Amino acid sequence: MDIFWFLTFAVLLAGYFALEGFDIGLGVLLPVLGRSPAARDRLVGAMAPFVLANEVWLVALAGVLFGAFPVLEGQALSRLYPLVVALLLAWIVRDAGLWFRRRSGGAAWRLVWDGALCAGSAGLALSWGAILVAVARGLPASPLDAAGIAGGVALLALLAWHGRTFAAWRLQDGPGRSGRALLLSACAAAAPAVLVMAAAAAHMLGNAAPDQTLTVLSVMVVPVAPILVGAQVWVWRTFSRGALPTFF
Amino acid sequence: MDIVGLARLQFAVTGSLHFLFVVLTLGLAPLVAIMHTRYAIGGNPLHERMTRFWGQIYVINYALGVVTGLVMEFQFGLSWSGLSHYAGDVFGAPLAMETLLAFFLESTFLGLWIFGWHRLPRGLHVACIWLVTLTAYASALFIMVANSFLQNPAGSAEMGGRLVLRDFGALFTNPTLVFALPHVLSAGLWTGGFVVMGASAYHLFRRTPEREFFTRSLRIGVLTAFIGSLFTVGFGYAQFGPVGSVQPDKFHGVIPGTALGLMITIGQLVQFAVMFVLAPLLIRDLLARWRWLHPLLMVMTPLPFVAAIAGWIVREVGRQPWLVYGKLSVADALTPGLTRADITASFAGFAGVLGLLALVDYVLIARAVRRGPGQVALGAADLPVTAEPVPAHSL
Ligand code: HEM
Repeated sequence: MDIFWFLTFAVLLAGYFALEGFDIGLGVLLPVLGRSPAARDRLVGAMAPFVLANEVWLVALAGVLFGAFPVLEGQALSRLYPLVVALLLAWIVRDAGLWFRRRSGGAAWRLVWDGALCAGSAGLALSWGAILVAVARGLPASPLDAAGIAGGVALLALLAWHGRTFAAWRLQDGPGRSGRALLLSACAAAAPAVLVMAAAAAHMLGNAAPDQTLTVLSVMVVPVAPILVGAQVWVWRTFSRGALPTFF
Repeated sequence: MDIVGLARLQFAVTGSLHFLFVVLTLGLAPLVAIMHTRYAIGGNPLHERMTRFWGQIYVINYALGVVTGLVMEFQFGLSWSGLSHYAGDVFGAPLAMETLLAFFLESTFLGLWIFGWHRLPRGLHVACIWLVTLTAYASALFIMVANSFLQNPAGSAEMGGRLVLRDFGALFTNPTLVFALPHVLSAGLWTGGFVVMGASAYHLFRRTPEREFFTRSLRIGVLTAFIGSLFTVGFGYAQFGPVGSVQPDKFHGVIPGTALGLMITIGQLVQFAVMFVLAPLLIRDLLARWRWLHPLLMVMTPLPFVAAIAGWIVREVGRQPWLVYGKLSVADALTPGLTRADITASFAGFAGVLGLLALVDYVLIARAVRRGPGQVALGAADLPVTAEPVPAHSL
C-alpha cells in the first residue's frame, strides 16, 4: 500500500514537470518569443487551455503528501520554508498575470501582467530547482546556497527549452515542431524529479501513514482515477489543434 | 505579537480572503450552470448572453479563489507542522481527497468550460459547468469534514501520542459538520443571489439598454437569495444544539460572541427584508421598476460577505486555544524552530500580494459589471493559429 502511494506521488511530481513545465518555460520565454503584444497573445493562447489542467497536478501532489505522508509534509515544508514561500508567491504572481492580462484595455496594463506572468514563471522554475536540489541532499539546514541556485538556473533552462518546444508544436512554427520533440522535452523536464524521487524513496516509504489511512484513501480515490485521467485526456483532445482561445 | 499570534493572524487573513471569493464561487456556479442549461435546451440567445456575462463574473472571482487556496493548502505544513505530526493520519485524508476528487477535477473541467466555447458540442459544454459545480460542492464537503474534525475529533483515537483513524464514516457524520455544511452552502447561494441582485440593480438604476436582461437577472438574484436565506437561517439556528454539546463555552468569549451577534443580526434582518419586501415585489416586476429602491439593493450586496466572515470568526476563534479541540493546542502545533523573521516575511508577502490582488480582482468584477453583457470576453471569437501574415512575410 505504501509503495502504491509512493508511486502515485512520484507520478504526480513527474507529470507536473512534464505538463506544467511547458507553461512555466513558455512564461519565462514570453518576452523573448513574443516581441509584440499580438505575438504574446498567441503564445499565451497556445498554453492557456492547458494551464488549469496542468497546475492542479501540484495541488494534488500536496494533497497526497498530506494524506499519505503527513509527517514528511510537516518536515519537508517547514525545512524548506523560504523556498516554499517563494514558490507560492511566484505561482500566485504567475497565475494573476494569466487571469488578469486581458481583463482590461490599456497597453500598460497588459505590459504589467505579462511581466507578472514572466517573472512568476521564472520564480517558479528557480524555486523548484532549488527545492529539488535540497530534497536530493536530504533537506540541508540552509537550502539556498550555491548548489541550490545552480539547480534553479539549470531547471529554468530546461523548462524554457520545454516551453519553446511546446510552442513550436502547438503553433506549428519554428524548429522541432513534431510531437516527438515535445515528448522528448517533456521526458527531459520530468527527469530531475524522477531522479530526486528515486533518491528519496527509502525515506518516504519509511514515513508513510498507517495502513488504515492508506486503505481509506485508496478506496475513495482509485475508483475515481479513470475520471481524473479521462478529464486530462479530454483537455488534450480538445485543445491540441485548431484556433487559439482568447480568454487569458 | 508573539510568533504563534503572527502565524494565527496569517492563517486568519489568508483564510478570510480565500472564503470571500469561495463563498461567491459556491453561489454563482449553480446559477451559471442553470443559465447555460436553459440556453442549451431552448436556444434562447438571451440565455446565452446571461451565461457568458454571469459566467465571466464567476470566472474572474474564481481566479482569486484559486490563488488564495494555494496558500491555504501549503500553510498547514509551513506553519503548523505539529498538526500533521499529531493528527495528519486522520486530518490529511479529507484534504487529500479534496485535492484529488474535487479540486483536480474542478480546475480541469473549468478549463474545458472557459476555453471550450465554439469547440465542444453544446451538451458536453454544459456538462462541464455542471461538473464544475458538483466538484466545487464536493470541495466544500471535504474541507468542512476536515474543519469539523478540528472542532470535534470524531472517528479517531490517540495511540502513542498521535491520533489514528478508527472510523472514517464518523468524519462525515460529525455533529459539527451536518448542519454547518448546509449552512455554508446556503450562505453561498445567498451571496451569489445578492451579487446578481446588486449588479442588476446597478444597470436598472443607470437605465442602461439592457433592461430585459437585468430585470430577469434581478428576479433570479432575489429568488436565489430568498431560498439561500431561508436555509442559511434555518441551519444556522440548528447549529446551536450540536455545537453546545461538544463545545459548550464556544460563544462566551468577547470576539466569538460579538461576531455571532453580528452574523445573526445581519442574517435575521436581511432575511426578513428578502422574504417580506424584495420577494413579494417581484410580482409584476415592481422591484425592477421602482428605481428609488435600487441604490438600497446595491448597498445591501456586501452584507452576506460580512456575515460569512463573521461566521468563520465565531467558529474558529471560539475553538481557541485548541487546534484539535481538547487534544492539541494551537501553540503546540506551531512548527518547531519557526522564527519571527520567517513568519513576518511570509505574512507580509502573502497578505501584501493576496490583498493587492483581491483589490484588483474586485475592481475587475466591478468593471465587468459596469461594461455589461455587450462586452464579454468569455466565449469571444478565437484567434487563428497561424500568425498574422504581414510581418512574417515582409521579412
Ligand atoms: C439568523 C441567522 C444566523 C444564525 C442563527 C447563524 C448561526 C451560526 C452559528 C451558530 C455558527 C457557528 C457554528 C460553530 O461555531 O461551529 C455559524 C457559523 C457560520 N455562519 Fe452563520 N448564522 C446566521 C446567519 C449567517 C449568514 C447570513 C451567513 C452568511 C451569508 C452565515 C455564514 C456563516 C459561516 C460561513 C459560518 C462558519 C461555518 C459554519 O460553522 O457553518 N451565517 N452560524
